Amino acid sequence: MVAIRRVTAVGVLCALVFVLASCGPTKHVSIDDVHVSPVTSADVQKAIHDPAAKAVLVNVWATWCGPCREEFPGLVRVAEKYNGQGLKVILVSADETTDVAAVKKFLATEGVDFPAYIKAEKDQAFIDGLDKQWTGALPATFIYNGGGKLRDFWEGGVTFSVFEQKVVEALAKQSKPTGGDS
Amino acid sequence: MNRSSFVALAAWLTMAGYVFGLNIGDKAPSTTVKMKNVDGSEVSIADVAGKQGTLVMFSCNHCPFVKAWQGRIASIGNAAKASGFGVIIINANDPADYPEDSYTEMQSRAKQLGFTFPYVVDATSDVARAFGATRTPEAFLFDKNGKLVYHGAIDDSREADQVSKHFLQDAIDATVAGKAVPVAETKFVGCGIKFRTKA
Repeated sequence: MVAIRRVTAVGVLCALVFVLASCGPTKHVSIDDVHVSPVTSADVQKAIHDPAAKAVLVNVWATWCGPCREEFPGLVRVAEKYNGQGLKVILVSADETTDVAAVKKFLATEGVDFPAYIKAEKDQAFIDGLDKQWTGALPATFIYNGGGKLRDFWEGGVTFSVFEQKVVEALAKQSKPTGGDS
Repeated sequence: MNRSSFVALAAWLTMAGYVFGLNIGDKAPSTTVKMKNVDGSEVSIADVAGKQGTLVMFSCNHCPFVKAWQGRIASIGNAAKASGFGVIIINANDPADYPEDSYTEMQSRAKQLGFTFPYVVDATSDVARAFGATRTPEAFLFDKNGKLVYHGAIDDSREADQVSKHFLQDAIDATVAGKAVPVAETKFVGCGIKFRTKA
Protein backbone atom coordinates (compact mmCIF):
# COMPACT_ATOMS: atom_id res chain seq x y z
CA MET A 1 0.00 0.00 0.00
CA VAL A 2 2.84 2.33 0.96
CA ALA A 3 4.62 1.43 -2.28
CA ILE A 4 1.50 2.29 -4.27
CA ARG A 5 1.26 5.65 -2.47
CA ARG A 6 4.92 6.33 -3.22
CA VAL A 7 4.46 5.47 -6.88
CA THR A 8 1.38 7.71 -7.02
CA ALA A 9 3.22 10.56 -5.31
CA VAL A 10 6.17 10.22 -7.68
CA GLY A 11 3.77 10.13 -10.61
CA VAL A 12 1.99 13.30 -9.46
CA LEU A 13 5.35 15.00 -8.90
CA CYS A 14 6.54 14.03 -12.38
CA ALA A 15 3.30 15.28 -13.91
CA LEU A 16 3.65 18.57 -12.02
CA VAL A 17 7.24 18.97 -13.17
CA PHE A 18 6.15 18.23 -16.75
CA VAL A 19 3.31 20.78 -16.62
CA LEU A 20 5.54 23.45 -15.10
CA ALA A 21 8.25 22.74 -17.63
CA SER A 22 5.84 23.03 -20.54
CA CYS A 23 4.24 26.22 -19.25
CA GLY A 24 7.21 28.31 -18.17
CA PRO A 25 10.61 29.03 -19.68
CA THR A 26 12.50 25.84 -20.47
CA LYS A 27 15.77 27.07 -19.01
CA HIS A 28 17.06 29.48 -16.45
CA VAL A 29 18.83 32.44 -17.98
CA SER A 30 20.70 34.99 -15.92
CA ILE A 31 20.17 38.63 -16.84
CA ASP A 32 23.94 38.82 -17.34
CA ASP A 33 23.62 36.28 -20.16
CA VAL A 34 21.02 38.33 -22.03
CA HIS A 35 22.49 40.37 -24.87
CA VAL A 36 20.43 43.21 -26.33
CA SER A 37 21.91 45.35 -29.10
CA PRO A 38 20.45 48.53 -30.60
CA VAL A 39 19.33 48.13 -34.22
CA THR A 40 17.95 50.10 -37.11
CA SER A 41 15.68 48.61 -39.76
CA ALA A 42 18.73 48.37 -42.05
CA ASP A 43 20.49 46.22 -39.44
CA VAL A 44 17.44 43.96 -39.22
CA GLN A 45 17.26 43.65 -43.00
CA LYS A 46 20.90 42.63 -43.03
CA ALA A 47 20.25 40.00 -40.36
CA ILE A 48 17.26 38.67 -42.31
CA HIS A 49 19.49 37.95 -45.30
CA ASP A 50 21.47 35.28 -43.49
CA PRO A 51 22.67 32.60 -45.91
CA ALA A 52 22.91 30.11 -43.05
CA ALA A 53 19.21 30.39 -42.21
CA LYS A 54 16.49 28.34 -43.92
CA ALA A 55 13.81 30.62 -42.47
CA VAL A 56 13.87 33.80 -40.41
CA LEU A 57 11.23 34.96 -37.95
CA VAL A 58 11.28 38.60 -36.84
CA ASN A 59 9.09 39.57 -33.91
CA VAL A 60 8.74 43.18 -32.78
CA TRP A 61 7.43 43.44 -29.25
CA ALA A 62 7.58 45.63 -26.15
CA THR A 63 7.58 45.06 -22.41
CA TRP A 64 4.52 47.32 -22.07
CA CYS A 65 2.54 45.38 -24.70
CA GLY A 66 0.18 42.81 -23.14
CA PRO A 67 -0.36 40.63 -26.24
CA CYS A 68 3.41 40.64 -26.81
CA ARG A 69 4.05 39.30 -23.33
CA GLU A 70 1.27 36.72 -23.71
CA GLU A 71 2.65 35.23 -26.92
CA PHE A 72 6.29 35.30 -25.83
CA PRO A 73 6.49 31.80 -24.25
CA GLY A 74 5.16 30.28 -27.48
CA LEU A 75 7.62 32.30 -29.49
CA VAL A 76 10.57 31.16 -27.38
CA ARG A 77 9.39 27.53 -27.62
CA VAL A 78 9.34 27.75 -31.39
CA ALA A 79 12.77 29.37 -31.43
CA GLU A 80 14.22 26.57 -29.31
CA LYS A 81 12.42 23.75 -31.13
CA TYR A 82 13.38 24.81 -34.66
CA ASN A 83 16.74 26.46 -34.09
CA GLY A 84 18.52 23.24 -35.05
CA GLN A 85 16.47 22.96 -38.23
CA GLY A 86 17.56 26.28 -39.70
CA LEU A 87 15.18 28.76 -38.08
CA LYS A 88 16.67 32.08 -37.05
CA VAL A 89 14.60 34.18 -34.64
CA ILE A 90 15.20 37.92 -34.38
CA LEU A 91 13.50 39.55 -31.41
CA VAL A 92 13.33 43.34 -31.59
CA SER A 93 12.05 45.28 -28.62
CA ALA A 94 10.26 48.52 -29.46
CA ASP A 95 10.82 49.84 -25.95
CA GLU A 96 12.71 53.06 -25.48
CA THR A 97 16.45 52.39 -25.51
CA THR A 98 16.54 53.87 -22.00
CA ASP A 99 14.38 50.92 -20.88
CA VAL A 100 16.93 48.29 -21.91
CA ALA A 101 17.25 47.02 -18.32
CA ALA A 102 13.54 46.13 -18.26
CA VAL A 103 13.91 44.47 -21.67
CA LYS A 104 16.81 42.33 -20.44
CA LYS A 105 14.94 41.38 -17.30
CA PHE A 106 11.93 40.24 -19.30
CA LEU A 107 14.05 38.27 -21.77
CA ALA A 108 15.87 36.54 -18.91
CA THR A 109 12.54 35.62 -17.33
CA GLU A 110 11.41 34.14 -20.65
CA GLY A 111 14.63 32.13 -21.06
CA VAL A 112 16.02 33.97 -24.07
CA ASP A 113 19.75 33.26 -24.27
CA PHE A 114 20.29 34.13 -27.92
CA PRO A 115 21.11 37.66 -29.14
CA ALA A 116 18.17 40.07 -29.05
CA TYR A 117 17.73 43.64 -30.17
CA ILE A 118 16.14 46.96 -29.29
CA LYS A 119 14.89 49.51 -31.80
CA ALA A 120 17.20 52.50 -32.06
CA GLU A 121 15.50 54.48 -34.82
CA LYS A 122 12.47 56.78 -35.14
CA ASP A 123 9.21 54.86 -35.50
CA GLN A 124 8.37 55.88 -39.06
CA ALA A 125 11.81 55.04 -40.44
CA PHE A 126 11.92 51.74 -38.57
CA ILE A 127 8.42 50.65 -39.61
CA ASP A 128 8.81 51.54 -43.28
CA GLY A 129 12.36 50.19 -43.32
CA LEU A 130 11.15 46.83 -42.09
CA ASP A 131 8.02 46.57 -44.23
CA LYS A 132 5.61 49.22 -45.48
CA GLN A 133 2.55 47.02 -44.87
CA TRP A 134 3.24 47.06 -41.13
CA THR A 135 1.10 49.76 -39.49
CA GLY A 136 3.19 49.87 -36.33
CA ALA A 137 0.79 47.85 -34.18
CA LEU A 138 2.43 45.43 -31.74
CA PRO A 139 3.22 42.64 -31.66
CA ALA A 140 4.24 42.27 -35.29
CA THR A 141 5.67 39.08 -36.76
CA PHE A 142 7.41 38.62 -40.09
CA ILE A 143 8.52 35.28 -41.52
CA TYR A 144 11.04 35.20 -44.34
CA ASN A 145 12.30 32.34 -46.40
CA GLY A 146 16.00 31.54 -46.58
CA GLY A 147 16.55 34.06 -49.33
CA GLY A 148 15.16 36.87 -47.22
CA LYS A 149 11.84 37.08 -49.05
CA LEU A 150 8.83 37.85 -46.87
CA ARG A 151 6.32 34.98 -46.88
CA ASP A 152 4.14 35.76 -43.85
CA PHE A 153 3.28 38.84 -41.85
CA TRP A 154 0.71 39.57 -39.18
CA GLU A 155 -0.04 42.00 -36.38
CA GLY A 156 -1.37 40.83 -33.02
CA GLY A 157 -0.61 38.00 -30.64
CA VAL A 158 -0.82 34.32 -31.59
CA THR A 159 -0.28 30.97 -29.93
CA PHE A 160 2.61 28.52 -30.10
CA SER A 161 0.71 26.38 -32.59
CA VAL A 162 0.28 29.28 -35.01
CA PHE A 163 3.96 30.17 -34.76
CA GLU A 164 4.87 26.53 -35.26
CA GLN A 165 2.59 26.05 -38.25
CA LYS A 166 3.97 29.10 -40.04
CA VAL A 167 7.58 28.18 -39.26
CA VAL A 168 7.13 24.58 -40.37
CA GLU A 169 5.59 25.81 -43.64
CA ALA A 170 8.52 28.17 -44.19
CA LEU A 171 11.12 25.50 -43.43
CA ALA A 172 9.34 22.91 -45.59
CA LYS A 173 9.13 25.30 -48.52
CA GLN A 174 12.83 26.00 -48.16
CA SER A 175 13.68 22.31 -48.10
CA LYS A 176 11.90 21.52 -51.38
CA PRO A 177 14.18 21.08 -54.40
CA THR A 178 14.30 24.14 -56.61
CA GLY A 179 15.26 24.75 -60.21
CA GLY A 180 12.55 22.82 -62.04
CA ASP A 181 10.19 25.70 -62.78
CA SER A 182 12.11 27.73 -65.31
CA MET B 1 -11.46 40.16 -61.23
CA ASN B 2 -14.96 41.44 -62.11
CA ARG B 3 -16.87 43.87 -59.92
CA SER B 4 -19.12 41.31 -58.25
CA SER B 5 -16.14 39.10 -57.41
CA PHE B 6 -14.35 42.09 -55.92
CA VAL B 7 -17.39 43.05 -53.84
CA ALA B 8 -17.77 39.46 -52.63
CA LEU B 9 -14.08 39.30 -51.70
CA ALA B 10 -14.27 42.65 -49.89
CA ALA B 11 -17.38 41.48 -47.99
CA TRP B 12 -15.68 38.23 -47.00
CA LEU B 13 -12.54 40.03 -45.85
CA THR B 14 -14.65 42.45 -43.82
CA MET B 15 -16.57 39.64 -42.18
CA ALA B 16 -13.32 37.86 -41.47
CA GLY B 17 -12.19 40.90 -39.54
CA TYR B 18 -9.73 42.33 -42.03
CA VAL B 19 -9.41 46.09 -42.01
CA PHE B 20 -9.21 48.50 -44.91
CA GLY B 21 -7.28 51.70 -44.45
CA LEU B 22 -8.37 55.13 -45.57
CA ASN B 23 -6.37 57.05 -48.11
CA ILE B 24 -5.68 60.76 -47.97
CA GLY B 25 -8.66 62.47 -49.62
CA ASP B 26 -11.15 59.79 -48.56
CA LYS B 27 -14.33 60.67 -46.69
CA ALA B 28 -14.87 59.36 -43.17
CA PRO B 29 -16.80 56.08 -43.04
CA SER B 30 -19.44 55.09 -40.47
CA THR B 31 -20.24 58.73 -39.72
CA THR B 32 -23.83 58.07 -38.63
CA VAL B 33 -23.07 55.21 -36.23
CA LYS B 34 -24.21 56.26 -32.76
CA MET B 35 -21.72 55.52 -29.99
CA LYS B 36 -22.16 55.89 -26.25
CA ASN B 37 -20.38 58.94 -24.89
CA VAL B 38 -18.99 59.19 -21.37
CA ASP B 39 -21.84 61.60 -20.51
CA GLY B 40 -24.41 58.93 -21.36
CA SER B 41 -25.53 60.45 -24.67
CA GLU B 42 -25.35 58.67 -28.04
CA VAL B 43 -23.04 60.51 -30.44
CA SER B 44 -21.96 59.92 -34.04
CA ILE B 45 -19.03 61.37 -35.96
CA ALA B 46 -21.49 63.37 -38.05
CA ASP B 47 -22.99 64.83 -34.86
CA VAL B 48 -19.71 66.45 -33.84
CA ALA B 49 -18.51 67.67 -37.27
CA GLY B 50 -17.16 71.23 -37.01
CA LYS B 51 -17.03 74.07 -39.48
CA GLN B 52 -13.26 73.67 -39.84
CA GLY B 53 -13.35 69.87 -40.03
CA THR B 54 -13.34 66.86 -37.74
CA LEU B 55 -10.66 65.17 -35.68
CA VAL B 56 -11.32 61.47 -35.06
CA MET B 57 -8.91 59.67 -32.79
CA PHE B 58 -8.84 56.02 -31.78
CA SER B 59 -7.62 55.71 -28.24
CA CYS B 60 -8.21 53.84 -25.00
CA ASN B 61 -7.24 53.92 -21.35
CA HIS B 62 -4.85 51.04 -20.73
CA CYS B 63 -2.21 51.50 -23.43
CA PRO B 64 1.08 52.86 -22.08
CA PHE B 65 1.50 54.83 -25.31
CA VAL B 66 -1.89 56.46 -24.82
CA LYS B 67 -0.89 57.27 -21.25
CA ALA B 68 2.30 58.86 -22.53
CA TRP B 69 0.31 61.02 -24.94
CA GLN B 70 -2.92 61.54 -23.00
CA GLY B 71 -2.04 65.05 -21.84
CA ARG B 72 -1.31 66.02 -25.44
CA ILE B 73 -4.53 64.30 -26.62
CA ALA B 74 -6.50 66.46 -24.20
CA SER B 75 -4.74 69.73 -24.98
CA ILE B 76 -4.74 69.29 -28.77
CA GLY B 77 -8.34 68.03 -28.75
CA ASN B 78 -9.61 70.85 -26.57
CA ALA B 79 -7.75 73.47 -28.63
CA ALA B 80 -8.97 71.98 -31.92
CA LYS B 81 -12.54 72.07 -30.67
CA ALA B 82 -12.13 75.67 -29.59
CA SER B 83 -10.87 76.58 -33.05
CA GLY B 84 -13.87 75.08 -34.84
CA PHE B 85 -13.08 71.41 -35.33
CA GLY B 86 -15.39 68.66 -34.27
CA VAL B 87 -13.46 66.28 -32.03
CA ILE B 88 -14.31 62.72 -31.04
CA ILE B 89 -12.16 60.12 -29.30
CA ILE B 90 -13.21 56.52 -29.93
CA ASN B 91 -12.36 53.52 -27.77
CA ALA B 92 -12.76 50.39 -29.90
CA ASN B 93 -10.99 48.04 -27.49
CA ASP B 94 -12.74 45.06 -25.97
CA PRO B 95 -12.73 45.73 -22.21
CA ALA B 96 -12.82 41.97 -21.66
CA ASP B 97 -9.13 42.07 -22.61
CA TYR B 98 -8.36 45.15 -20.55
CA PRO B 99 -10.81 46.13 -17.77
CA GLU B 100 -9.08 49.52 -17.65
CA ASP B 101 -10.79 50.22 -20.99
CA SER B 102 -14.29 49.83 -19.53
CA TYR B 103 -16.95 52.52 -19.87
CA THR B 104 -16.73 53.58 -16.23
CA GLU B 105 -12.95 53.87 -16.48
CA MET B 106 -13.41 55.95 -19.63
CA GLN B 107 -15.71 58.29 -17.71
CA SER B 108 -13.07 58.73 -15.03
CA ARG B 109 -10.30 59.33 -17.55
CA ALA B 110 -12.29 61.91 -19.53
CA LYS B 111 -13.06 63.79 -16.33
CA GLN B 112 -9.48 63.56 -15.06
CA LEU B 113 -8.08 64.89 -18.35
CA GLY B 114 -10.74 67.55 -18.82
CA PHE B 115 -11.97 66.44 -22.24
CA THR B 116 -14.36 69.04 -23.68
CA PHE B 117 -15.26 66.62 -26.48
CA PRO B 118 -16.93 63.20 -26.65
CA TYR B 119 -15.04 60.06 -25.62
CA VAL B 120 -17.16 57.23 -26.96
CA VAL B 121 -17.40 53.43 -27.08
CA ASP B 122 -17.21 51.66 -30.45
CA ALA B 123 -19.30 48.77 -29.13
CA THR B 124 -18.62 46.43 -32.05
CA SER B 125 -15.19 47.78 -33.05
CA ASP B 126 -16.71 48.13 -36.53
CA VAL B 127 -16.06 51.87 -36.72
CA ALA B 128 -12.36 51.18 -36.13
CA ARG B 129 -12.46 48.44 -38.75
CA ALA B 130 -14.13 50.79 -41.25
CA PHE B 131 -11.40 53.37 -40.69
CA GLY B 132 -8.69 50.73 -40.93
CA ALA B 133 -7.46 51.87 -37.53
CA THR B 134 -5.05 49.43 -35.92
CA ARG B 135 -3.34 51.25 -33.06
CA THR B 136 -3.90 53.60 -30.19
CA PRO B 137 -3.58 56.54 -30.24
CA GLU B 138 -4.24 56.92 -34.00
CA ALA B 139 -5.47 60.23 -35.42
CA PHE B 140 -7.58 60.96 -38.51
CA LEU B 141 -8.10 64.64 -39.42
CA PHE B 142 -10.79 65.60 -41.95
CA ASP B 143 -11.10 69.06 -43.46
CA LYS B 144 -14.28 71.12 -43.76
CA ASN B 145 -15.16 69.24 -46.95
CA GLY B 146 -14.97 65.97 -45.05
CA LYS B 147 -11.80 64.78 -46.78
CA LEU B 148 -9.00 63.05 -44.89
CA VAL B 149 -6.02 65.39 -44.74
CA TYR B 150 -3.93 63.74 -42.04
CA HIS B 151 -3.60 60.21 -40.66
CA GLY B 152 -1.16 58.92 -38.11
CA ALA B 153 0.74 59.91 -35.02
CA ILE B 154 0.21 62.92 -32.76
CA ASP B 155 3.90 63.76 -32.86
CA ASP B 156 7.26 62.05 -33.02
CA SER B 157 8.16 61.34 -29.41
CA ARG B 158 6.70 59.46 -26.49
CA GLU B 159 8.41 62.00 -24.26
CA ALA B 160 6.63 65.35 -24.46
CA ASP B 161 9.83 67.31 -23.93
CA GLN B 162 11.59 65.55 -26.81
CA VAL B 163 9.05 66.23 -29.55
CA SER B 164 10.57 67.68 -32.70
CA LYS B 165 7.70 67.09 -35.17
CA HIS B 166 4.19 68.16 -34.18
CA PHE B 167 2.45 66.23 -36.96
CA LEU B 168 -1.18 66.55 -35.84
CA GLN B 169 -0.95 70.15 -34.65
CA ASP B 170 0.79 71.14 -37.88
CA ALA B 171 -2.00 69.44 -39.85
CA ILE B 172 -4.66 71.28 -37.83
CA ASP B 173 -2.90 74.62 -38.31
CA ALA B 174 -2.49 74.04 -42.06
CA THR B 175 -6.14 73.05 -42.42
CA VAL B 176 -7.32 76.18 -40.62
CA ALA B 177 -5.06 78.27 -42.86
CA GLY B 178 -6.43 76.54 -45.96
CA LYS B 179 -2.97 75.22 -46.81
CA ALA B 180 -1.78 71.74 -47.72
CA VAL B 181 -0.87 69.62 -44.70
CA PRO B 182 2.95 69.39 -44.61
CA VAL B 183 3.12 65.69 -43.66
CA ALA B 184 -0.12 63.90 -44.45
CA GLU B 185 0.67 60.40 -43.20
CA THR B 186 2.90 59.11 -40.43
CA LYS B 187 3.47 55.76 -38.80
CA PHE B 188 4.32 54.96 -35.23
CA VAL B 189 4.65 51.99 -32.94
CA GLY B 190 1.60 51.65 -30.74
CA CYS B 191 -0.71 49.28 -28.93
CA GLY B 192 -2.79 47.21 -31.31
CA ILE B 193 -6.54 47.78 -31.03
CA LYS B 194 -8.14 44.85 -29.18
CA PHE B 195 -10.99 44.31 -31.62
CA ARG B 196 -14.17 42.75 -30.35
CA THR B 197 -14.72 39.30 -31.78
CA LYS B 198 -17.40 39.06 -34.46
CA ALA B 199 -20.52 37.19 -33.28
